[in-house]
Amino acid sequence: MTKIEILGTGCAKCYRLFANAEQAVKDLKIAADVIKVEDIDEIVNRGVMMTPALFINGQARAQGRIPDVNEIKKMLTE
Amino acid sequence: MAEQPTCSCGANEPKRIIFPCAGQANVGQLTNLAALQLTDEGYGNIACVALLATGAESLLANTMTADEVVILDGCPMLCAKKIAGAQGVAAGQHLVLTELGLTKGPSKSYTDADIEKVVAACWKGEGRNKDAATPKKAGGNNSGCGCGGTC
Repeated sequence: MTKIEILGTGCAKCYRLFANAEQAVKDLKIAADVIKVEDIDEIVNRGVMMTPALFINGQARAQGRIPDVNEIKKMLTE
Repeated sequence: MAEQPTCSCGANEPKRIIFPCAGQANVGQLTNLAALQLTDEGYGNIACVALLATGAESLLANTMTADEVVILDGCPMLCAKKIAGAQGVAAGQHLVLTELGLTKGPSKSYTDADIEKVVAACWKGEGRNKDAATPKKAGGNNSGCGCGGTC
């Protein structure tokens, strides 16, 4: 199962990114876990210096910006 | 002490300029409120479509250097899109609020949920990847704005 993680401390942009990721999963009809990671230590340990960050299966795919639904869908189908 | 990630949140966002039609109807006013919220959330910066219509050089220069122009039209009249087009400005994202399920007039009222619907659609990029350049044929026998003659 695909694991999608949204790293951020819980501001509006993290919420937007989470919503976009959920929409992308819904559109693609794939089995995926969309998870929020709000723990600051965990975020630092991942090497994220700018939030929000998007990780797909453990790989950083975007940092400090919010990819739209189509971009996330493209990432998920690569 | 370990360096903390900055919650500069969205520091890597592209430079966007948002033009709301800001029309008098409820959906027009909603474009304005949505553009303000999008500016507040760091999606881009609201700009004045009326000033764009005057051909103001500073605004045009600013617009031409933006990574993306976002146009919010309330109804199928597409006033903001037409104004931008007349100045040679193309939209990277174009949303028409009536196409999002919002009803134009006769009420002037709106809810926070209406604003959220527009803002979320913008963040999701729902106005991209479609031929937004073609004005849709309006219904009714009035001015063509789709309000049924109430505006």
